[in-house]
Amino acid sequence: MPGLYVHIPFCISKCYYCDFYSVVVVPELLDRYIDALLAEADSYNGGDFDTLYIGGGTPSLLGSKRLEELVNGLSRRFNFERIQEATIEVNPESAGRDFLATAYSLNIRRVSIGAQSLNAEELRKAGRVHDRRQVLDAVDAASGSGFTNISADVMIGLPGQTAQSLASTLDILVGAGIKHISAYCLSIEEGTAFFRCPPADLPGEDDQACLFESAVDFLRAHGFTHYEISNFALPGSECLHNLNYWRGGAYIGLGPAAASHTGGMRFKNAPCLERYLNAPLSTREEEERLDDGRKAGEEAMLRLRLIEEGLDLGEMAGKYDQGAVESLKVRLDGLVSRQMLVADGHIFRLPPARIFTSNSVFVDVIS
Amino acid sequence: MNNLRNFSIIAHIDHGKSTLADRILEMTGMVRKTSMDQMLDSMDLERERGITIKAKSVRIPYKSADGNEYILNLIDTPGHVDFSYEVSRSLKACEGAVLLVDATQGVEAQTIANANLALDAGLKIIPVINKIDLPNAMLDDCSLQLYTMLGLGIEDILHVSAKDGRGVAELLEAIVERIPPPFGSASDPLKCLIFDSFYDPYRGVIPHLRVFSGHIASGDRIMLKSSEKIFEIEEVGYFSLGLARSEHVQAGEVGYAVALIRDAGEIHVGDTIVSADHPEVPAIPGFRMSQPMVYCGVYPIITSDYAKLGAALEKFKLNDSSVVFEKENSAALGYGYRMGFLGMLHMEIALERLKREYEQDIIATMPSVIYRVFLKDGEVLMLDNPSKFPPEGEIDHIEEPIIRTRIIVPSDYVGPCMELSDAKRGVLVGIEHPDDRRAILVYDLPLSEMITDFYDRLKSVSRGYASMDYEMNGYRAGDLVKVDILVNNGAVDALSYIAPKEGAAVRGRALIHKLSKTIPKHLFKIPLQAAIGSQVIAREDIFPRRKDVLAKCYGGDITRKRKLLEKQKEGKKKMKMVGFVEVPQEAFLSLMKIED
Repeated sequence: MPGLYVHIPFCISKCYYCDFYSVVVVPELLDRYIDALLAEADSYNGGDFDTLYIGGGTPSLLGSKRLEELVNGLSRRFNFERIQEATIEVNPESAGRDFLATAYSLNIRRVSIGAQSLNAEELRKAGRVHDRRQVLDAVDAASGSGFTNISADVMIGLPGQTAQSLASTLDILVGAGIKHISAYCLSIEEGTAFFRCPPADLPGEDDQACLFESAVDFLRAHGFTHYEISNFALPGSECLHNLNYWRGGAYIGLGPAAASHTGGMRFKNAPCLERYLNAPLSTREEEERLDDGRKAGEEAMLRLRLIEEGLDLGEMAGKYDQGAVESLKVRLDGLVSRQMLVADGHIFRLPPARIFTSNSVFVDVIS
Repeated sequence: MNNLRNFSIIAHIDHGKSTLADRILEMTGMVRKTSMDQMLDSMDLERERGITIKAKSVRIPYKSADGNEYILNLIDTPGHVDFSYEVSRSLKACEGAVLLVDATQGVEAQTIANANLALDAGLKIIPVINKIDLPNAMLDDCSLQLYTMLGLGIEDILHVSAKDGRGVAELLEAIVERIPPPFGSASDPLKCLIFDSFYDPYRGVIPHLRVFSGHIASGDRIMLKSSEKIFEIEEVGYFSLGLARSEHVQAGEVGYAVALIRDAGEIHVGDTIVSADHPEVPAIPGFRMSQPMVYCGVYPIITSDYAKLGAALEKFKLNDSSVVFEKENSAALGYGYRMGFLGMLHMEIALERLKREYEQDIIATMPSVIYRVFLKDGEVLMLDNPSKFPPEGEIDHIEEPIIRTRIIVPSDYVGPCMELSDAKRGVLVGIEHPDDRRAILVYDLPLSEMITDFYDRLKSVSRGYASMDYEMNGYRAGDLVKVDILVNNGAVDALSYIAPKEGAAVRGRALIHKLSKTIPKHLFKIPLQAAIGSQVIAREDIFPRRKDVLAKCYGGDITRKRKLLEKQKEGKKKMKMVGFVEVPQEAFLSLMKIED
């Protein structure tokens, strides 16, 4: 089930925690950027996709006309007949009704809103440029445009965040009809404003764990499935595009910093808009083709993120050579004996108690 | 022989010895002027630390101003207190020494120590003030210090800038004018001094020699005085920038000899080589076997690498015969080795070389000195490993090694330096005032305090101005106890240490606190305790980790995620499993980093 990811690396301004590749939007470059994306798309000589994900950055900064150009341009180059899910990310301040209606008309049926929080102080301290009202307006605009599959991003561990403020954020979002929540823990990454100047009221590691647990409890109580470490969905609203990543599937990423996984090879484009605009076909870097042993370890690590689905070793045996699967099994069995994984026949899962400390499990899964 | 000059350059650390050696090589045409700095320091580590670890020599043809041709043998010396015996042997091979003083720093502790070694060896000293190109050079002050502190004549002092070459030509002239040529007859029976050696994988151990009388040539049968072992010489030669084979090396000259000596343990610096035909020729006085002062445990991080580590140590010893090692077994760390070193710097360098050049993943335990443990039944044990101490009830008393240290410090910092020395159980022996701005403090101090953090603390309380030097000064009884460290309720023998009873609890608490910050959080609670016998003197818990980074895993950049995990895995590999706890190297050295 191959996926197509399109990166829109523009933002109104950089949020204090963000280390994704984005630049402050320069309106004059947007048209050139669409051309560059389509030029990169051309280089693939067609392709069938099951999911489309337009992410960022802030895709809603494209405006309706360019979104049309982009999606129509892509659909001329690729086969979108079998698309099961097409998602667009929007930020509240630029998610107008017109833009969302255009997206809907282009057969985009899933919208992901970068809400992060509904608490005014938390939004301000994180460097978000929208307020709480604009989030709710964006949800309304999406519903009004016909979207029923709406997701929201929420950050755990924002400066000043408490269990109450987090519960309130989730409560309002769920009440507004959000069917999918991505809840990411704030981590201070090099190159961000928070890294240079860490806020004093940043919740500590233990507080973050408590906040996360409270979010899990809240969302479960409201019928959400904790289907991936950081993702929650009402049944049937899981993100198919992301599920494909976690199942080790193939995908193509267009745009600077976008990653691809196709034909057993992983590579990505350089995180540099200027280079991409000048030569969209020649910024590919970090190509890697792993041997079966490491590939199996990598996929196992990804699949174990799927808390309910887990890792089916039988399925791995169909994909990788015997030695790779056997050595993986030895590692998995070792982790089971240390209670870091649970086994149910040939299916391995993270036990609930290990979800917050899954890295220490994954370290021993990969090799 | 009249045109030979054998000399060393001696100086306090960083006073520019290696730079001057480079300039001399360049100005005499030995090397072309290059951007490659410091020809004589060939080990990477030496360059990084700016110090010369192993002495090396070079033979320099030199045409003086009056047109005469000379051969200068520049014998490099290691520049650190750990190696003072090696320095003394190198100096023994010379007739003169260039005493270098940094014009911005003045005479420092090692300037004095090295000058004294040179005077003891009866050398002609040429005092030289270096770095005169610097704007803050204090020429008059330095001259006065050389006069008052070392009794050197002000009119004899030369001024140079090793950096830009100023004054170096005059220095070369002074070397041939002031330093006497060697004496000794080439027709007398052979007598030469081993002042260094190195290991060649194909030709064995190659000693560096100074011939005092007679001559040595291939085919000669020689005898080592200390062991009376006999070898046949295969090749002799001089030190150019590499080895330059020659027919013979004779009285007054410096050179090397190849005799297929496979075992590095055969060759000792300071030993005398004589002809096997004249075994009655007396040894050159002053020889002693090198004596390790500091010991630590060295363990492979992966227990099964034990044999590999042993092989690496065997090889390492060929290069550095002053280290000693023997097998050791720790309940906590498994099989490993106890290594002995000449001092702390020697230890640090040796461990670093084991890691880098010999590619060993190792954990080193806290260094220890050799304690004399007097038992109630009259037996006396020499113990260099706290975990081997008998139960407290069996011990009558303990003696520890003492050093006599000489600290040179500006008058403003005398107070803090004395406070520090007192806190480190020092006994003041005397205070000298060589001039109105500086004092020399002489203290007797336990060596164990020196190997923890004395030098770093001294530098910090004196804002970097104090310099020091020390020599061993016997043993002294101390009120000492063994402190055990328990991690996750199990005693970790490799973390136990010997400490003065007074203040043991305070220090124990500080150590436990340090450990709690050094050992990473695990998924379970880890109690840490310090105990004397069964009495717990400090306790702290490392609380379980509740969360590791839930790094975002979307946008499809799986490679980045995988690489982060791989890096984490690499980090784990640098830690030693002690029971179920992963303990990083820093934890074993925490005691050295405690602020009192």
